[in-house]
Amino acid sequence: MSRFFATGSDSESEESSSADELTPKAPGGNFKQSLLISDDEEDTKRVVRSAKDKRFEELTNLIKTIRNAMKIRDMAKCLEEFEQLCRAFLKSKTIVDKEGVPAFYIRLLADLEDYLNQLWEDKEGKKKMNKNNAKALSTLRQKIRKYNRDYETEVAAYKENPQESADEEEEKEAGGSGSSSDSEGEAGEDGVSAKAFLKKKPEAAPEASKFLKTAGVRGHPLRDDDDDDDDEDWGSDTVDSGSESSDEGEGKSSLAVVFLKKTQEGEKSGEKRVSKKKKPKKKERLEEEAEEEGGEEVEGGWEKVKGGAPMVKEKPKMFAKGTEINVPVVVKKLNEILQARGKKGTDRAAQIELLHSLATIAGENNLGQGILVKIKFNIIASLYDYNPNLAAFMKPDMWKKCLDCIDELLDILFEHNNIFIGENIAEDNESLAISDQPFRVRGCILTLVERMDEEFTKIMQNTDPHSQEYVDNLKDEGHVCGIIDRLLDYMETKGSTEEICRIYLRRIMHTYYKFDYKAHRRSLGLQGETKSEQDQEESEGEDSAVIMDRLCKFIYAKDRTDRIRTCAILCHIYHHALHSRWYQARDLMLMSHLQDNIQHADPPVQILYNRTMVQLGICAFRQGMIKDAHNALLDIQSSGRAKELLGQGLLMRNMQERNAEQEKIEKRRQVPFHMHINLELLECVYLVSAMLLEIPYMAAHEFDARRRMISKQFHHQLRVGERQPLLGPPESMREHVVAASKAMKMGDWRTCHSFIINEKMNSKVWDLFPETQRVREMLVRKIQEESLRTYLFTYSSVYDSISMGTLSEMFELEIPTVHSIISKMIINEELMASLDQPTQTVVMHRTEPTSLQNMALQLAEKLGSLVENNERVFDLKQGVYGGYFNRDQKGGYQQNKSYNRDQKGGYQQNKGGYNRGGYRNQNHQSNY
Amino acid sequence: MASRKESGTATSAVMASTSGTLDSPVKQIQIEGLVVLKIIKHYQEEGQGSEVVQGVLLGLVVEDRLEITNCFPFPQHTEDDADFDEVQYQMEMMRSLRHVNIDHLHVGWYQSTYYGSFVSRALLDSQFSYQHAIEESVVLIYDPIKTAQGSLSLKAYRLTPKLMEICKEKDFTPEALKKANIGFEHMFEEVPIIIKNSHLINVLMWDLEDKSTVADKHELLNLSSSNHLEKSLQLLMDRVDDMSQDIVKYNTYSRNLSKQQQQKHQYLQRRTQENAQRQSRGEPPLPEEDISKMFKPPQPPPRMDTLLIAGQINNYCQNVKEFTSQNLGKLFMAEALQGHN
Repeated sequence: MSRFFATGSDSESEESSSADELTPKAPGGNFKQSLLISDDEEDTKRVVRSAKDKRFEELTNLIKTIRNAMKIRDMAKCLEEFEQLCRAFLKSKTIVDKEGVPAFYIRLLADLEDYLNQLWEDKEGKKKMNKNNAKALSTLRQKIRKYNRDYETEVAAYKENPQESADEEEEKEAGGSGSSSDSEGEAGEDGVSAKAFLKKKPEAAPEASKFLKTAGVRGHPLRDDDDDDDDEDWGSDTVDSGSESSDEGEGKSSLAVVFLKKTQEGEKSGEKRVSKKKKPKKKERLEEEAEEEGGEEVEGGWEKVKGGAPMVKEKPKMFAKGTEINVPVVVKKLNEILQARGKKGTDRAAQIELLHSLATIAGENNLGQGILVKIKFNIIASLYDYNPNLAAFMKPDMWKKCLDCIDELLDILFEHNNIFIGENIAEDNESLAISDQPFRVRGCILTLVERMDEEFTKIMQNTDPHSQEYVDNLKDEGHVCGIIDRLLDYMETKGSTEEICRIYLRRIMHTYYKFDYKAHRRSLGLQGETKSEQDQEESEGEDSAVIMDRLCKFIYAKDRTDRIRTCAILCHIYHHALHSRWYQARDLMLMSHLQDNIQHADPPVQILYNRTMVQLGICAFRQGMIKDAHNALLDIQSSGRAKELLGQGLLMRNMQERNAEQEKIEKRRQVPFHMHINLELLECVYLVSAMLLEIPYMAAHEFDARRRMISKQFHHQLRVGERQPLLGPPESMREHVVAASKAMKMGDWRTCHSFIINEKMNSKVWDLFPETQRVREMLVRKIQEESLRTYLFTYSSVYDSISMGTLSEMFELEIPTVHSIISKMIINEELMASLDQPTQTVVMHRTEPTSLQNMALQLAEKLGSLVENNERVFDLKQGVYGGYFNRDQKGGYQQNKSYNRDQKGGYQQNKGGYNRGGYRNQNHQSNY
Repeated sequence: MASRKESGTATSAVMASTSGTLDSPVKQIQIEGLVVLKIIKHYQEEGQGSEVVQGVLLGLVVEDRLEITNCFPFPQHTEDDADFDEVQYQMEMMRSLRHVNIDHLHVGWYQSTYYGSFVSRALLDSQFSYQHAIEESVVLIYDPIKTAQGSLSLKAYRLTPKLMEICKEKDFTPEALKKANIGFEHMFEEVPIIIKNSHLINVLMWDLEDKSTVADKHELLNLSSSNHLEKSLQLLMDRVDDMSQDIVKYNTYSRNLSKQQQQKHQYLQRRTQENAQRQSRGEPPLPEEDISKMFKPPQPPPRMDTLLIAGQINNYCQNVKEFTSQNLGKLFMAEALQGHN
């Protein structure tokens, strides 16, 4: 989450802030203007207006809305707006007291009352109204009746002579408001606007109502979807911003109307078609439209519109006709569009649309690649923005669009070598215009691609892995990789080292988990043929190993952020391990010292670490390094949460441990399905390794009271197996391993073998390895060897001597192997015996203590501790700590004990190879 | 068979308890051969492995001699018949026996044992209740394993009067035990046993002995010892572990106690100092507070279990000692024989 904001959002925030600089007229971010006002009007009049104008403007705006609502018989809206109007009127009380009640206000009151009465009478119409509207109607009627009582005389006067009184009022008002010459005109205009509206009503009706209908249609579903209070918020917002901005923006806005209308016109024709498909628009747009419409009326400028050629149809969306479309203009327009970004009511789809058309315009007018690149950047950014929250993933069409866009952007960048892009190019330093200098564009393609990659992961996470859809989505992986590759090429020539590191890491992330079958086959093939140097070199070009090596080494050398290096190392190890390069993988792991401090890394890295560790263990197993395999897998397996630690699924836990928020975060961390490590394979590898270690160990330490367990989990499985009242033939993988362990305990390697390697186990586990046959052979051999050891441990007391020939026959091992195994056991003092060379026999010494002797030893030990405890009691009584005990006896016992410890510590000392990756441990502590 | 029994009698007579039993109402126990056979049969039929069988002894007291003339087993009852009333059963049984003119006086109970592990809380409690109700009652311990090895092992035990006192008071704190001056040696007293048969039976046995072959006596000369010893050691070890735990518990307790004592002492000292100061200033001394309330002494661990464990350990040790000494003798014998050949 934070990562995204750290990288993805800074471009956004900077852009918007710079946009603020460029458009000084928008304090508080007036969206109306930012979205629709063209810039050529910007440096026209800047008017200082009186409070009165501000208030009245506000009122007229509201009145306009009410009138619109009246036209479409939207009573609910009418009511709402009316309430706002009353509030606004109350606010402007002081002015009203001074100036008298404005005529247009009275006019509205009168008209509204008439209108309502008329509606009220119309029983038919009322019946047709929906419940909401009908309710609103009755409320509004009551309200207005009550309200109008205060203005009875005025309303009556107006009703008598609507036109005159209005004019009079107008005159009066105009006369009275001579506070500033500028505002006078304004006021007049205001008045006119209202008046003209009324007068021209019949003319404008067809057009306006047509438009309004569409607006109404658009407005309705919105109100149904969103909550009402939301709407209200918006309403008041508009009021506020209107009042704020009107300080300086009034003149502009009135002038802008010229433009607005055209925009509207264009949009109307353009969007009507689209609007059905698009999400319902926000209400404030509706209001604007209404307002614009009002403005249009003022100017009476319908005739100015000249729709015609398709190009014009596109163009007027953005710019007034005749405006010379040049770079600064487009940039300003772009900034306007961008300003609406992230605002509550902004229609994101429309924004993307706008940006697209802007790009087309820029393209058509040959404004150069610089501006095009800039717009593209913004298109992609708004595509990412389309989803409001992080959890949601992109829709397929959006995703496609995004990929295409990035592709195009890269095309441009590749074609034109003279474009510099960078995050650190300030907005004002951009050079977008075509000139001799190279283009300089602000923006970071790398961030965009990284974001794209993340989106891809998100899509994969949110697709059902067992569906065709997943496969389809996965096909895009190639595309994503392609883009990353292209960017990598680009960055290698242009980017800084950090950027190269970042894109390398992306590339690595898409490579490390894939098994390189081509290289694998090649190496197999090569082994059979002659290994000519040339062949090797030829093939190296495409080997993922070589690529990994190159990329990772670059990162090791150049990277300065720890995280990227850590990830790269882990991926490198993973890749080595996946391709059975055990020694490289292990050495890299040990050299990196990651085990020591991985618990300080962030969870995704820890997951990666766990994955790597598991892969390392599986690799060791394939190579026959059973002990290493066991050690590597121990931590993951012993926790019993392998699934969670590998980021392959969430464990069911109660809500105390994890609330919904945390769950969401954890869900976001999951590894996509195609990167999963098979958990059954993992467990099987672990259990088989544990079996191969534990069974001989158990046999060797049968009488040892303080015997340690090598693998708790394995013992657990054994116990579960023992607890079963009825033992049928094994079914699951675990049962197979348990049955095999039992056979091995008796030294019966054939049965053990048949349990470990059979049809079922092959299909479940062993066939998943790339070199199945080799692994199976290794396993058979290990089983034979360990069974031999177990046999010797268990039954050595029965023999006086045993011929190695017999043993080799029993376990189907060659005599030298048997010889070496027995020699090793003798050297390690596991087997008290000697080898008789001429007769090839093992002669037992029978020096191991019998069970009775063992028991006696244990008893002695226990008695020792008993005495020690007893002495403590005695000491306490005496008040002296360690009285006579310290002198002689204790020393004696301790010697005894240290002797014991020496014997037992053997395994433990070997054990410390791998440390634990405490992904979960840390999880609870950190508060995201 | 007869000879075996005789020898058993002899050993138990020899091993008569050393602790003086002058004040005890029973100095000797005389058991009918029938009772012995019945007990053995009971175990053979119902007891397996470490399972324990129990029954009631009947007989009567003659002077300082307790004569046990008959017995009957407690039925092995399972979980299903939970409403089985043991007392009712005993009463019924005794009444029935009385009808056929058999001694019906309740004089104790018997129990089988597994490698000599019988010194337990349960035994103590039930023997206490027996002895409490019937003063001269005893508990017969039958060791089937030793018997199988060739020597009948049947021992009679009673609680010492000291232990009876303690049990009556139900005070097992360290202090109480200390005051009673009781150790594991003084918990139980063994009463010598004599097995008595009617003349007729004796005659029969003499007759039988002539007919019996040498093979029947082989168990006695069995040289293998490890199995028995291992088992004993195992049990001994378990008890030692228990003992260790108890000691640790006691240790913690005494440490806590001493710590608290110290605190208490400090507190009292401070208080007296303060009072002295106040007195010099002419103020009234501080009110006496209930010190025992402020310093609640830690709960002392009951020591009876420890005593029992110690008794049990002692028992095991005796067993092992006995067993090994016999075995050693046998081994020497075997060696001598080997040398001869």
